[in-house]
Amino acid sequence: MRLARETDSILSDWRDRALRFEAEIGKSVLGQARVIRLLTIATFARGHVLLEGDVGVGKTTILRALARAIGGAFERIEGTIDLMPADLIYHAHLDEDGKPRIDPGPLLKQGEGLSVFFFNEINRARPQVHSLLLRLMAERSVSAFNREYHFPHVQVFADRNRVEREETFELPAAARDRFLMEVQVATPDGEEARRSLVFDPRFHNVDSLLMNVEPGVLEPQALETVARMIQISVRASPTLEAYVLALWDALRDPRDHGVVVEGVDMQRLVQGGASPRGLSYLVRAARVRAWLEGRDMIVPEDVRAVFPEVMAHRIFVDPVYEMRREKLVGELIAGIFARVPAP
Amino acid sequence: MHAAARSLALILAMALLLLAPIPAGAQLRSVELYAPRPFGHVIGDRLTLSADIVLDVPFQLDPASLPRARPLNYWLELTDVRLTDRGTSGDAQRYALNLTYQIFYAPLEPKRLDIPPLQLLATDGERRVEFVVPGWSFLTSPLREIVSTEQGAAMALRPDAPPPPIPVSGTLRGLLFSLGCVLAALVVLAWHVGWGPFAQRRGRPFARAARAVRAALPSPKTAPSSPAYRQALLSLHRAFDATAGKGVFAEDLPGFFSAHPGFVLVETEIRRLFAASRRLFFGDDLVAATQELPPAELIALAGRLKAVERGGR
Repeated sequence: MRLARETDSILSDWRDRALRFEAEIGKSVLGQARVIRLLTIATFARGHVLLEGDVGVGKTTILRALARAIGGAFERIEGTIDLMPADLIYHAHLDEDGKPRIDPGPLLKQGEGLSVFFFNEINRARPQVHSLLLRLMAERSVSAFNREYHFPHVQVFADRNRVEREETFELPAAARDRFLMEVQVATPDGEEARRSLVFDPRFHNVDSLLMNVEPGVLEPQALETVARMIQISVRASPTLEAYVLALWDALRDPRDHGVVVEGVDMQRLVQGGASPRGLSYLVRAARVRAWLEGRDMIVPEDVRAVFPEVMAHRIFVDPVYEMRREKLVGELIAGIFARVPAP
Repeated sequence: MHAAARSLALILAMALLLLAPIPAGAQLRSVELYAPRPFGHVIGDRLTLSADIVLDVPFQLDPASLPRARPLNYWLELTDVRLTDRGTSGDAQRYALNLTYQIFYAPLEPKRLDIPPLQLLATDGERRVEFVVPGWSFLTSPLREIVSTEQGAAMALRPDAPPPPIPVSGTLRGLLFSLGCVLAALVVLAWHVGWGPFAQRRGRPFARAARAVRAALPSPKTAPSSPAYRQALLSLHRAFDATAGKGVFAEDLPGFFSAHPGFVLVETEIRRLFAASRRLFFGDDLVAATQELPPAELIALAGRLKAVERGGR
């Protein structure tokens, strides 16, 4: 009993910290409250995140602010077409004495304390790099210099811009499935936020802007434990389990549930996906959201709030519809939530 | 026959006019009397004589000289006198005088009777001129034989005339029309309130839900079983979903209220309903749920929601 109360008080302390964490990021990023909330959920669910959006909407700024607020070691790398896996692991160069030297690359430089690994423009890197990343995300380890390096606290954030498609490599489905969320970052819609972003000189220099963010609001080493406590303490009732399974069923077979997307042959639209891993990620994220809302049980709203980001990139649609995927999958998900009754 | 009788009367009248002394000056142009046929009238008949009177302008008929409706003698009664001013044309002032008489003479054989002439007065304000509407005579006929040749009792009364049918088709049409209107209004009311065959129609989800709640919780006093209470909550949630056209969760309530402002009246209760169902379905806590929203209040809320849906309060 005493232990239970302790768990409760630890969790509510951490909830306050999580809200402070959001507020700190919000200081330097305007009009992206939803994205920040989703990133917080991902952080406490220990999941990796892929950010997608236009150029210049603040993807990198969000991630840098986030890394600063989480605290711990932070590394970043830019994806380019000639980037090779080895470039992540070691760095060969001539030192000041003119002797060749091999130093650890960005991934190994910080050792096991690496907490945030930020991969910029991930779709510009080659599939070899993607597969290294796949291992890092799935097992939190890499092999280098004849041994294994473990990164127990690492969280991978990647971004890609969706405008350019030349000289890019689509991420393999297996790598995409490893991401907890794919978050779309859009231009802020609030008039006030837009005006500030354009005219307020504070937002013109990213480096000084980021200095406003209090560093190390969260402890990366403790996050794993807190995440586990959240998963244990937030309950999912049988009704909610049935609801999630019904959602899954509807996602795999939308026609049977009467979900209709305009101008689409519903029999062909969904080809596969929505893996069991995806569903377990969904419930994990929903638990964190319930905890952030101050509840000890998952309700359908939690599932709905994280569903598009967690599930959309795991749905494989017919190639005919691939080009319009974003819109169609969005409508499909909206249709499923409209049709599947809860509770 | 009738026209012939009228022309005959006209000739008679003209003759009388010629015979009558011409009054001083020529203020009276003419008096023409039109009468019905001069024979075949029986006791009780009404005879209408009409006289066309033409005077010189500025002479006018003195209304005071018109006879009153009254019994003229033991068999003749003047029942109606009606004067119509036909206006002037050129220098002639025209009147139409209608005189209705009823005769009460019971003759034993055809007999000639006379309606006496009438003295009238015309005046232009200073001068007064008398003139005469001529009298008229006609033949009356008896109603019965002098000596009865009939079998049985003499002087037996004739059977009563059958009552004439009153024209009712207009009234009947009106009655049928209004009955149709009443029936249509009743159908519209039943449709609106959701009575009888309209209970299942779409667009009245709360009416159906209220029935389902009452069926699930027949006695509000006793503690409900978990499945019954669940069923009652579920049917209300389905009604919310159907009203909004999509799933309504607790977090969607502000949007629901702005889309359906009528439900703002019961906002507190609706929020309690959602809180209770959260506790029941996702917290698995029936006791807390029934404390939040006791079954009796749940039934009352279902009724209120039904009323709000109908547009009432």
